[in-house]
Amino acid sequence: MASYFFMRLLESSAHRYDRGMRLLSRGRIDRVYEAVAERAASPGRRILDIGCGTGAVALACAARGADVTAIDINAEMLEVARSKDVATLHGGRVEWLELGLAEIEDRFGPGSFDGITACLLLSELSADEQSYLLSVASSRLAPGGDLVLADEVVPASWHARLLYRLLRLPQAIAASLVARTTTRPVADLVEQVVDAGFVDVTEERILTDLTVVHGRCPLEAA
Amino acid sequence: MRIGDVPHYLRDTLLRLFPHRAPTGLYRIGSPDRSSPVLLTGNFTLTVRRLRDVLNGFDAWLLVANSNGINVWCAAGGGHLTHHDVISVLRTSGIADCVDHRELMLPQLAATGVERRPIEDATGWSTLWGPARLEDLPAVLRRGGSVRGRERTATFPLRERIEMAWIWIPTMALVLGSLSLLIDGWLAMVAVVTSLVVAVMGLFACIPRVPITGGVRWVTFFAAALLGAAIGGAVLVSFGARTAPGQVVVILSSVLGMVILSVDITGTTPLYPGSVNSRGGTPDITLDVERCSGAADCVQVCPSAVLRLAENPARAVIAAPGACIACAACIVQCPEDALTFTYPDGRMVEPATIRRTRLNLIGDRTVQVST
Repeated sequence: MASYFFMRLLESSAHRYDRGMRLLSRGRIDRVYEAVAERAASPGRRILDIGCGTGAVALACAARGADVTAIDINAEMLEVARSKDVATLHGGRVEWLELGLAEIEDRFGPGSFDGITACLLLSELSADEQSYLLSVASSRLAPGGDLVLADEVVPASWHARLLYRLLRLPQAIAASLVARTTTRPVADLVEQVVDAGFVDVTEERILTDLTVVHGRCPLEAA
Repeated sequence: MRIGDVPHYLRDTLLRLFPHRAPTGLYRIGSPDRSSPVLLTGNFTLTVRRLRDVLNGFDAWLLVANSNGINVWCAAGGGHLTHHDVISVLRTSGIADCVDHRELMLPQLAATGVERRPIEDATGWSTLWGPARLEDLPAVLRRGGSVRGRERTATFPLRERIEMAWIWIPTMALVLGSLSLLIDGWLAMVAVVTSLVVAVMGLFACIPRVPITGGVRWVTFFAAALLGAAIGGAVLVSFGARTAPGQVVVILSSVLGMVILSVDITGTTPLYPGSVNSRGGTPDITLDVERCSGAADCVQVCPSAVLRLAENPARAVIAAPGACIACAACIVQCPEDALTFTYPDGRMVEPATIRRTRLNLIGDRTVQVST
């Protein structure tokens, strides 16, 4: 059914994912994971990490003492995540679940979480799925809960955009060869989060093309 | 096919080794209404366009799920198209507001990765398997969705064999052609590329009449390499280049090309097991008759007519074990876990492992059968 090369292409390359992401982000991805965890997690908080992949954000949240539910649709990614060292969690814990974005509503009731994170996920989703994510996040977060999204964006200034495009192609090819992984920029992330009813929305750019968007669920439930 | 689609068809056919993503979500075919059938496919651009072409004249809703731009069969086998992707497009596309019924037709070849029951449990939609080949879809739709036995079998007609040869040619030509260019100039490159095109297409044209499995396959590859070298040599001679370097480059490229092809040519056909995903030999399909409840899911999803249903009592039977291509669709779909892969040395792959990892190097994920 699949040629050798095709199988390489298809093989869920969970074991090479972390390496691929470091390559693609020129080593900055760990800063993004930390920035997300810093905004969402603190001791005892209930965090849902959607599209957890190999678990970097979930583990960073747990290391801050949070009670994390990490979901992904890829069982092999979860296998890698489960195998990671969890000696330094400081009282936090992670539950790994094979669950899709659209299945959150089956499993968790309204207000189940104090924080929801999604790192480099929106760029993988269709427009329908992106708006579904934002609506499910606003219903599953407790009032005042935090939504933290990190994703790739196209830089604002023309010279940064030019540099981004020049650097991106060879990087994307390399990451694609190493890990069958790539990312695509998302447009209007802040606007989408505001339109979905989140308040106090802030954005921090990590260099020029990675962004961390933080919004809060209104205190009186919408 | 529309004229404007020709460049896209060419791109998708010639570069079919790479993913090509169509937008996911809900597509309208014709003028569908609230009772029109709902079909699902992956987001490989070639598939979406072919479906649209083949369904010309029908009214239907088409859900395009995220298969990472890979065709349905390979995506399902590689874990890129699972029930999670189907649930996602069912829930987020708004299809439930467009129709009064809750029946979804899934592509049969997605059965290696898409599990029906979790979809039905999560969404309340009932699912049925469509035919193996989209060419049979019009007939199946005219019959109200019932699929006949032969429409469940994947075939490999000449046109598709020639097309599939092109999964190999561009990459081989790029690598070996560039090397020839560096070693002996542009004429050697032209000769090498021509020889590869002829040898690979010739070989695919002769499948399955020539053997590409077992020890005897080397005779086939040798003959194809010889054909390639002869064609490449003829190109050189016709341009007046009779010197040794060019001829040596052509011969070496032909041999190297066939060596590359021999790695997993079987995996680019629907007729044989792929060799890469079954390290350590091809597994046999085995049935635990005691567990079988006669649900017949396996019979509906087997693309090689390996399984059939016996009556009184209704039980699956492995009728043609030699035809099994180890795609694992039957194992994934069996509600009783009655089917497994077993290797000649006694190792086996458990159904739960296949559901978790699909066909990703299943040979590495075996357990010893306790006796």
